[in-house]
Amino acid sequence: MSGLNLKKIVKRYGAVEVVHGIDLEVKSQEFVVLVGPSGCGKSTTLRMIAGLEEISGGELTIGDRVVNDVAPKDRDVAMVFQNYALYPHLNVADNIAFGLKIRKASKEKIKESVAEVAEILGLTEYLDRRPADLSGGQRQRVAMGRAIVRHPEVFLFDEPLSNLDAKLRTQMRAEIKRLHKRLGVTSVYVTHDQVEAMTLADRIVVMRDGHIEQVGTPMELFNNPVNTFVAGFIGSPPMNQIAGVANDKGDKVVAFIDDVEITLPVLDELKGASKLDVIIGIRPEHVSIEPGEGLSAIPVSLDLIETLGSEALLHTSVAGKTFVLKVETRGEIEHLEKVNTIYVDPSMIKVFDAKTGNVFGLAQA
Amino acid sequence: MKNMNLYSRGDKIFVWINMVLIALFTISTLYPFIYIAAVSFSEGSAATAGKVVITPIGFTLAAYERVLSEPLFWSSYKNTFIYTFGGTFISLLIIIPGAYALSRPQLYGRRFWNLMVAFTMWFNAGLIPFFLNMRDLGLMDSYFGLIIGFAVNAFNIILLRNFFEAIPTSFEEAARMDGANEFQVLRKVYVPLSKPALATIVLFCMVARWNGFFWAMVLLKDEGKIPLQVYLQQVIAELSDDEEFGNSLLESLYSFETVTAAIMVCSIIPVLIFYPFIQKYFNKGILLGGVKE
Amino acid sequence: MQTKIDQFIQHLRKEWQLYVLLAPTIIWFVVFLYKPMYGLQIAFKDYSIFRGVAGSPWVGFEHFHTLFGSDQFLRALRNTFMISALSLCFGFPIPIFLAIMFNEITNQVFKRTSQTIVYLPHFISTVIISGIVITAFSPSAGIVNSFLSWIGVDPIYFLIKPEWFRPIYIGSGIWQEAGFSSIVFLAAIAGVSPSLYESAVVDGASRWQMVWKITIPSILPTIIIMLIIRIGNLLEVGFELIILLYQPATFETADVINTFIYRQGLQGAQYDLAAAAGLFNAIVAFILVMTANTISRRFSRTSLW
Repeated sequence: MSGLNLKKIVKRYGAVEVVHGIDLEVKSQEFVVLVGPSGCGKSTTLRMIAGLEEISGGELTIGDRVVNDVAPKDRDVAMVFQNYALYPHLNVADNIAFGLKIRKASKEKIKESVAEVAEILGLTEYLDRRPADLSGGQRQRVAMGRAIVRHPEVFLFDEPLSNLDAKLRTQMRAEIKRLHKRLGVTSVYVTHDQVEAMTLADRIVVMRDGHIEQVGTPMELFNNPVNTFVAGFIGSPPMNQIAGVANDKGDKVVAFIDDVEITLPVLDELKGASKLDVIIGIRPEHVSIEPGEGLSAIPVSLDLIETLGSEALLHTSVAGKTFVLKVETRGEIEHLEKVNTIYVDPSMIKVFDAKTGNVFGLAQA
Repeated sequence: MKNMNLYSRGDKIFVWINMVLIALFTISTLYPFIYIAAVSFSEGSAATAGKVVITPIGFTLAAYERVLSEPLFWSSYKNTFIYTFGGTFISLLIIIPGAYALSRPQLYGRRFWNLMVAFTMWFNAGLIPFFLNMRDLGLMDSYFGLIIGFAVNAFNIILLRNFFEAIPTSFEEAARMDGANEFQVLRKVYVPLSKPALATIVLFCMVARWNGFFWAMVLLKDEGKIPLQVYLQQVIAELSDDEEFGNSLLESLYSFETVTAAIMVCSIIPVLIFYPFIQKYFNKGILLGGVKE
Repeated sequence: MQTKIDQFIQHLRKEWQLYVLLAPTIIWFVVFLYKPMYGLQIAFKDYSIFRGVAGSPWVGFEHFHTLFGSDQFLRALRNTFMISALSLCFGFPIPIFLAIMFNEITNQVFKRTSQTIVYLPHFISTVIISGIVITAFSPSAGIVNSFLSWIGVDPIYFLIKPEWFRPIYIGSGIWQEAGFSSIVFLAAIAGVSPSLYESAVVDGASRWQMVWKITIPSILPTIIIMLIIRIGNLLEVGFELIILLYQPATFETADVINTFIYRQGLQGAQYDLAAAAGLFNAIVAFILVMTANTISRRFSRTSLW
């Protein structure tokens, strides 16, 4: 298996630049997910790796070969498309075998490979069916089979699950993960769904407007987002972000949201702060409704309770600003209806510069 | 879909009147076919006297015997098959690759090429320059000339091009990543995916060829090469003046009317045989024809 | 500039197959449709077969002067517009009525059978149409005259009477195309949301009211676009059928521009004069089509091609 290296990759359509010099290294056998809102350049980047879009600038290496001008078929990559691109006139076996036939593989070799792939994906009994007679999940599997059968160096996935319903998506997600564990093929996966990114990735690449915002493991991104964008993108429900003014009170640094005072974590960059506009980020999960050692209290007013079962989302407001927290229900929600104060560990609070959106204390983290 | 029980009295009357009117129109559409068939099976004297209405008068196959004994009938029938199948084949051979190329976004000068094709729908040089061009090319009086000269038209190309353009690009991209070149993408992916559009074009080409008569009449001099329609036209125009035919009338059961009717029936029968197969396609085809630039 | 050429060469190296696929089509269009356009210059020349298109001497607009001084050509011009306009008046509304009526049929078997039958004549050749007409309208043998004599009217020799040519021509046109032309309107009706009809039923509307208040307004855009197309093609008279049906006795009402061109050019070998008539025809047709397309673009925001 070989890795993948993007050096200063640029994509231009005429005068418009949509990908602005991306640097990314994907290690051998790694599963990397590109995630971001639509139009962020993630699909374009993937298509440049595939060779479906020309690379306007920079250098793309697969293994130790620069492939900028190599045709898609010679890059040794395989791609799973969003709409699967299964040929409706061919049955499952022929769909899987398409690439091998084009490459003029021998009949026995094709048969053997198809059988092997069908076995891996549990498609053996469907080989004679046409795509139209398959369920969404089965089609998805055929699409993957078509990629696997060629034993490529790199798998590319272009939002492969977005055409499935929620339940199937969860199921197929697990299957993709299992498949990756089994085959260990270097994979690049594009999605706009952060849950998919979190669950599948070894490393996540968060993109926005043709730039990479942050690269890291799912937990790194969750715990230490570098800016408000990543903070808001990763995690569900997203991190609460409330504008406030930070002031160093000597013994501690606090932020005021109107007249509500919140104690901020101890960070070098905040020392001596005075009337500094900040954005306070608190994850819904990092909030308690019971007081505790070292927790600071924040008065809230409760607007709405959304019950999820074992957990509930409390929609509250802090000084008139929306604040969502996620708490356990313990089987009933009556006790939640009386919530008027929440408790936060200052060390779990993220503080972002209101001007740039960047997090304070990156060096410390 | 529509539940008649829910209809009011007035609605039911409306529906009945409607049915009667449609039935009348349908019958009047059908009648000429029945009339011609009846004439073709009638005795010549009855047909000439105008006695045939719906059923044959004095049933006889004399007209068919006369028609089927004409070598020219058989050769023209054979020629029509050559022009229909050969012509359709050549048409597809040019139209499919052309429409595919014109549908590719990466084609250099794509707008220009497309305009070049579409322009011929709005402006054409007309009968005379076309005729002189065919003559200068040495394509008069030849099977090949008649086939190639009418192999392509802008409408069919644009129809197929639009269909190709509507196929999601991921099909092409997937095939390309699998190592297919343009020829393979077209043959193994686009052609199988375009069956409805291709069936429509085959239908249009075959119908045009089967029925084509004007240019065959103008371009072909050799009687051995004329298609059925030209033969029929010659029979209609000239048979009544034919001396041998006139003399044969005295001792036979056919007449000018029954013989021409018999040829017409022979020419319609293949259409009727194919008609049920093509019917499901022309609804689609007409809609596919909603052309855009 | 150099880089552009380089880019193009690189593009050709990568995509040459595309141009191989395109070539037959382009060559065909050049050889069979664009080369004759070059040949159109004989409309301004004294063409002779021996000197060829390029070698024949120029005569300017002489042929056009001849044409517009000729009663025959002016008659053909007049007939073209008359026959077109009459076909439009009588032929255009019928497919619309048919489509609406088909839509109101509740019995699916009856509907499908009658549709199958009324579409059929579209696939029948012009020669057969002419054969049917000639047989049916024949003075002695034809069913029409048999019927007339049965109701006590003297036989009429329809095909040599100028006043009968247009009704017969337009009638056979309707017989052949009305059913098939209804398909496009049926498709438009099929596109009307069923909920419109359902809510009308709930409001207590009758079928007749639904036709007027829902069906017709819904397909009005289609009707108008088809009308514009028809007007754009006003000069396209089906001259094959005319050639097969007309006779010197009916030229007065039957001779149109294309039959005039056919007689002068292909039968009479006056190629240059006929080409001039053809050029005039093509230019007027071009203007009509372009105008129609512009109007429909403005009207519907969807162009026709």
